[in-house]
Amino acid sequence: MDPPDDLDEYLRGNSALSRQYRRESAPMPPHALDRRVLGLPRGTHGTARRLTPYLAPLAFAASVLLSVALVLAIVFGPQTAKRVDDAPRLVRVAAHSDTLTNPRLNRKVQLYSSDPKFARAPSDWLADIAALRRAGRDREADAELRRFRSTYPDYSTGELAIRPQGHP
Amino acid sequence: MLEPMESLDEDAKLMVRYRDGDSGAFLTLYARHKGPLYRYLLRQVRNAGAAADLFQDVWSRLVATRGRYEARAKFATYLFHIAHNCTIDFFRRDLKMRNTARPDDADALSEPEVPEYQRPDGIAEFAEQQSALLAALGALPREQREAFLLHEETGLTIEEIARVTDVGVETAKSRLRYAIRKLKKSLLPAPIPGAQPLRTRTI
Repeated sequence: MDPPDDLDEYLRGNSALSRQYRRESAPMPPHALDRRVLGLPRGTHGTARRLTPYLAPLAFAASVLLSVALVLAIVFGPQTAKRVDDAPRLVRVAAHSDTLTNPRLNRKVQLYSSDPKFARAPSDWLADIAALRRAGRDREADAELRRFRSTYPDYSTGELAIRPQGHP
Repeated sequence: MLEPMESLDEDAKLMVRYRDGDSGAFLTLYARHKGPLYRYLLRQVRNAGAAADLFQDVWSRLVATRGRYEARAKFATYLFHIAHNCTIDFFRRDLKMRNTARPDDADALSEPEVPEYQRPDGIAEFAEQQSALLAALGALPREQREAFLLHEETGLTIEEIARVTDVGVETAKSRLRYAIRKLKKSLLPAPIPGAQPLRTRTI
């Protein structure tokens, strides 16, 4: 003999088994999982459709701004870049090429340089120092003399070149 | 044959609206079904991390295939049919992994694979298993457990359970019958060890 079938009673609902099951804890998905799942439809089309009316003016303004920026970059971009690029080139020219071809720059650099490579010939340098002495510019003459000695420590300087008459 | 819109259940209408681009309908569907679906998966695979992965997989499939949705039946049968297929895939993968695992990996396989973010909930869920009813539920054969969970969590009828699980109605009825018969035993008070049955004196 089959045992009494509880299925019909159970399917009618409100059985002791169902009541007990509903009294058990009912775990829910953690919030992190909610966020992951709810990101699925929003990432596809949902949010974009809802926000379109609000974003349309912003999108138009952004397009205009980008277009203007693009035109400016095309028209003025190369010139601006050239100016930026020219600046160091001019500096380089002044530092190297022009100092070799421009006598005035060349003279000034070599006059005050203590680097033997760029220094003038000792006799010319001493002549300039003597000229400073004659002009009464003794401080400049003394400074140049110290540089001269650091550059040519073993070169003998004439007393007349460094001690103008009338000075102690 | 498609049912007319008026005869569809509320969730099926929401799914149709979602299919047609209303993302708010998805939020409503998710809020209604996330709990039952999560508990169905959790109590089927009995692993919090795997349940979380399956949960996301089910909703991902629903989102990905929403364009092909046709309201043929109750929405819950559609959602839980996806869930049923996901769990079947999970058990197949799990069985294959266990068969190909080396003996040294036996300990590693017996430990639950719980992601970091899931651990507190996983701990709570494993503590929940101390309940006599849930312990008995976990001890059921998977097919019987599934039939019981589908009825309890979603209110599906025998016919709908059969549709979700791809079996005949009689098979679904038999599974549910065996499930409730075994589970009812867990509701009986456990006998006290050493206790003597009461003696009645006839006068």
